[in-house]
Amino acid sequence: MSRINDVGGMEGFPLAGQELNEPPFHADWEAHVFAMNAALIRRGCYNLDEFRDAIERMPPQQYLAASYYERWFHAITALLVEKGVLTAQEVSGD
Amino acid sequence: MSDHGGPGHGLAARVRHVEALLERHGLVDATELDRALEAFLSRASPANGARVVARAWLDEGFRARLLADASAALPELGLSMGGGIQEQRLKVVANTETTHNVIVCTLCSCYPISLLGPSPTWYKSESYRSRVVRDPRGVLREFGCMPGPDVEITVWDATAESRYMVLPRRPAGTAGHSEAELAGLVTRNGLIGVADV
Amino acid sequence: MTERFRPGDRVLTSRADPVHHTRLPRYARGAAGTVLELEGRYPLPDDRSRGLPAEPEPVYAVRFRAAELFGAGDHQVTLALWESYLRPLPEEAARGE
Repeated sequence: MSRINDVGGMEGFPLAGQELNEPPFHADWEAHVFAMNAALIRRGCYNLDEFRDAIERMPPQQYLAASYYERWFHAITALLVEKGVLTAQEVSGD
Repeated sequence: MSDHGGPGHGLAARVRHVEALLERHGLVDATELDRALEAFLSRASPANGARVVARAWLDEGFRARLLADASAALPELGLSMGGGIQEQRLKVVANTETTHNVIVCTLCSCYPISLLGPSPTWYKSESYRSRVVRDPRGVLREFGCMPGPDVEITVWDATAESRYMVLPRRPAGTAGHSEAELAGLVTRNGLIGVADV
Repeated sequence: MTERFRPGDRVLTSRADPVHHTRLPRYARGAAGTVLELEGRYPLPDDRSRGLPAEPEPVYAVRFRAAELFGAGDHQVTLALWESYLRPLPEEAARGE
């Protein structure tokens, strides 16, 4: 069951332009997601393979619509809830 | 860096919310996150790759050691692949008169970030990841890179723990350049393989 | 553990279509390639991603001709593949080349 991330050789994706002098992150939240992921993995909350798996399990339409670090954030929160570290309620802020 | 309005705006608040939750649970420390981020960004950049290339152009022995075991050669320049989540093996692949190399991660976006910093957004795109393994010449042409017809293109798909970096060919007319001047010629696109240098 | 393959060996990738995380891309399934070198030994991501125990196993750089992968193209694609994804290329097919 190939997942949506497995795009090698696929046809039809819109071209991505180059951004001149692109910064490492486009917003603070992206940098925080990046750092948060590293911290949680180092802490042993989940491993890198579980993280990739969580991104890949995103419904295809959601995956394609999400920006790169949005996917990361989705994976992080999904794993934290799946592993019982946080509750879905806590995450959604209800 | 600031958070603009628009699609990312709600995300910024959600990220802050989750970070605060994690702090409350004692799982992350905001100050520590900032410090780690700062350390990473100051340490990792394409300039590191450029230095490695320039040294390889000037020093045949270093070039040989680099191609044989890049991770072991990096410390000669005070560089390393450490400092990330898990240390990855660097593999440097040399362009020659008959071979042009280009790097991709079709499955996600693996890239030697510990050495070079974050990859460009286009590298992570479905467009690049899907097309470069199938039509590298077409993709390279769009970047203005056109290896000759006798040059074979090799695409490296970073599917495991190795992270690849291209050693571009030294441009003609650079004899007598200093190491710093040579490093100044090397672009991030050249290290990925979508440019000649 | 000793590695099953050596540089120069001809190998065939798995045709399996797993329901779990894997690092053998679809475009490289069931393809014949040549082992370039041993890259190292790492635990299989298919297992690690599911919380299963995973001992390090050999990972190889394996080179494929584009024509083998896509039926067209004059380039080569090299992938880093876990030993579990590889079988020796059947001798009949190898001899026929």
